Amino acid sequence: MARSYLFIPGNTPSMLQHANVFDSDAVIIDLEDSVSLQKKHEARRLVFEYLTKYYDSSIEIYIRINDPSTPFFEADVALLDGLPINGYVLPKATKDTVLLLSRMTKKPLIAIIESAYSVVTLEDIAKIESIKGLLLGAEDYTTDMNIERTIDGEELIYVRSRLAIYAKAYNKEAIDTPFTMKDDEEGLKKDILRAKALGLHSKSVIHPNHVTLVNQLMSPSESLVLWATRVLKKKAMTSKGAFSLDGKMVDEPIIKKAQKIIDEVKKYS
Amino acid sequence: MIKTGTLESSDCMIELRESNERKIEIESIVFEQFGDQIYDVLKTTLDEYHVKAVFLRCIDKGALDYTIKARLKAALELWGVDHG
Repeated sequence: MARSYLFIPGNTPSMLQHANVFDSDAVIIDLEDSVSLQKKHEARRLVFEYLTKYYDSSIEIYIRINDPSTPFFEADVALLDGLPINGYVLPKATKDTVLLLSRMTKKPLIAIIESAYSVVTLEDIAKIESIKGLLLGAEDYTTDMNIERTIDGEELIYVRSRLAIYAKAYNKEAIDTPFTMKDDEEGLKKDILRAKALGLHSKSVIHPNHVTLVNQLMSPSESLVLWATRVLKKKAMTSKGAFSLDGKMVDEPIIKKAQKIIDEVKKYS
Repeated sequence: MIKTGTLESSDCMIELRESNERKIEIESIVFEQFGDQIYDVLKTTLDEYHVKAVFLRCIDKGALDYTIKARLKAALELWGVDHG
């Protein structure tokens, strides 16, 4: 699981070449919104040549292809499917388009949930085997709903919660929408914590300067790590299935939670 | 005429025009150091696509080999040249 997914424009060599220097756990090379219609072919070819020569296995690499309603979708998959990438990100995902793409590739998929219809049919999408994660696309979602996208994100509480719950239920990653204000660090911090509190443990990023804070806040806090360490230490010292720590009972689900926290810390330390 | 790429840093612009012979022109901010290498990438890519007659101009802004190759391949494909 990645804490941060950084979008990189697919037709910009200077950004592609720096994909691995922003400390993002994963990058999403974009062939969709950041590439104009006239440049789709060039961008696809550039991404192919770049990854053929410079594929870096130390970072998770995904490609956001164009959706099946466009004339670019089939060509995207046809050229790129031989690359050793971690998977595709499918915009405007529905059950039908995810199944269509799943028939064309064996790669894992991240579905962008960005319409009311996709929100309503989220379970159908989440349960598809090739789905690795669900990513909230708040800009298109609020446009579809004809509602305002606000800094506080109150309009996203329901959709964030629903996405987090279905992702958890089907053991998929819940990836939050990007925060669009480039230099509003306080706003970014609140946005990350709001999403995290609802159960989204990853966040997509469109500004490289957001990566550090996303990684920091999407990691378990110091106090949580300390607590988990103490739980596992005490567990190792007892043969009992349940025991007491700081006056609270610790049993199997709590021990599992502590182990998960430590595993996560090890992964990103 | 076909144009691909941009004049941004680390990119290059490729221009293709019809011609009776193969002619390659290169403008580069690093021509002194990498002119031969750029020429080799362009020539090899044209050979790969079996293109013998074309006027090719490459305006390079410090592009790496993969970018030059990608921009030329895209131009050839948009021009209707089949790969290999």
